[in-house]
Amino acid sequence: MAERKVRVLVGTRKGTYIVQSDARRKSWKVGAVSNTGRDIFHVRADPRHAGTLYAAVNSGFWGPILYRTLNWGKAWEEVATPLTPVSGKREPRFDDKAPPLPVVNLWHIEPGHASEPNTVFVGADPHLLFRSDDLAKSWQPIAGLNEHPTKSKWNPGAGGPCVHTVIVDPRDARRMYVGISAAGTFRTDDAGEHWRPTNRKVEAGFLPDPFPEVGQCVHHVALDPANPDVAYRQDHGGIYVSRHAMDDDWDRVGKARGGPKDDFGFCVTSAEALPGRAFFVPLQGEARTTPGGGLQVWEWNDTGRRWRTLMGPKQFPGDFGVHREGISADALDPAGIYVGTTTGQLVYSADAGKRWAQVPYQFPGIHSVQVTV
Amino acid sequence: MTVVHLDAMLREFAPDGSLRSDAPTVAALLDELEGRYPRLRSKLRDETGAIRKFVRVFVDGEDVSRSPGPTASLAGAQTVDILHSIAGG
Repeated sequence: MAERKVRVLVGTRKGTYIVQSDARRKSWKVGAVSNTGRDIFHVRADPRHAGTLYAAVNSGFWGPILYRTLNWGKAWEEVATPLTPVSGKREPRFDDKAPPLPVVNLWHIEPGHASEPNTVFVGADPHLLFRSDDLAKSWQPIAGLNEHPTKSKWNPGAGGPCVHTVIVDPRDARRMYVGISAAGTFRTDDAGEHWRPTNRKVEAGFLPDPFPEVGQCVHHVALDPANPDVAYRQDHGGIYVSRHAMDDDWDRVGKARGGPKDDFGFCVTSAEALPGRAFFVPLQGEARTTPGGGLQVWEWNDTGRRWRTLMGPKQFPGDFGVHREGISADALDPAGIYVGTTTGQLVYSADAGKRWAQVPYQFPGIHSVQVTV
Repeated sequence: MTVVHLDAMLREFAPDGSLRSDAPTVAALLDELEGRYPRLRSKLRDETGAIRKFVRVFVDGEDVSRSPGPTASLAGAQTVDILHSIAGG
């Protein structure tokens, strides 16, 4: 049997890197950078097509460009980029009274459900979600979300008005969730025709009504691998859990349950081998850097309803930033957990957080980390 | 007939560095270029037709990127240079 390869896909401020190891995850080989000099907000493997990766490239000169490789990054090609259909002879699909807005940045690439192998989703700025059913040859805007009745109440986050989290329920292709800054989370049960806000009891302390239907600044969401009805949410307003597919009140489990003193942060992930748990990197709300003098990783155990510090601040001292796609876990057992910082450190644990090390390479500032095995 | 020069960074999307065109306006020229080099679509201007922030179009040495912009006439123009602007420190 061939040795399993572990590939960490790293999107940085200056290009895409693929960092490779074997299942032991002790030594790493950093591959050649691609799309040099460009902002790569997200690099995503398509688990339905071995070797296929997508990269959300945002060029300061040429705008957003979607790239794909079919051979694990040996060669990348430009594929169709989702754009607002307002130019040329294409029919406008948006409200004629609203000024047409171009796509500014591509934020998140999400392969569709396993039963829909040609479907891919892209979340973008400004507040747009697109769907392709031909593996990124063409794109359709999802009007049910893009023209949502609550849209006038949506605001931009600090990174812009972006659809940054897109999740397909692994049990049901028709059920999806999105996270939008600063609008909150939404759920569809009919493949995107209709969406309903799912933000009950999530605090938006920056608005006159601190618990509105929409307007929350969700930062990222991860589903529990063993029970996809459980969602872990890192929000501007703290760390929350939903245990009923976002139909319930979100339970704030951050600082209220002995978690990080400041439960602000951007990223969250879960691991296949660690059901009932989620992993966070706390940040200071004002500075957007790690509190306590060093990089930290915290684990929320939703089964036991308790927190544990997996990495304390002493091993990697300093003031680090971590973006919303900056943490990922692999599908091995014991789970590997990977964190990329905005100053270019890639740290990892190959044993579910017991011990941590740094990949010996100084990357450009890291936007996204995703692991594929 | 206008001679059109594309800067080196654009060769990724348009392999020819220069060509000739009878387009009457900058917008028509960009349409023509995007037809000839499909990968140029959305690189020089966004979906609204606006020339991107760091793209500059010079007609006979005059920067028309912002004013008058894509509607700039090319009647009688000898050369058009399409460049990326300096976006460094």
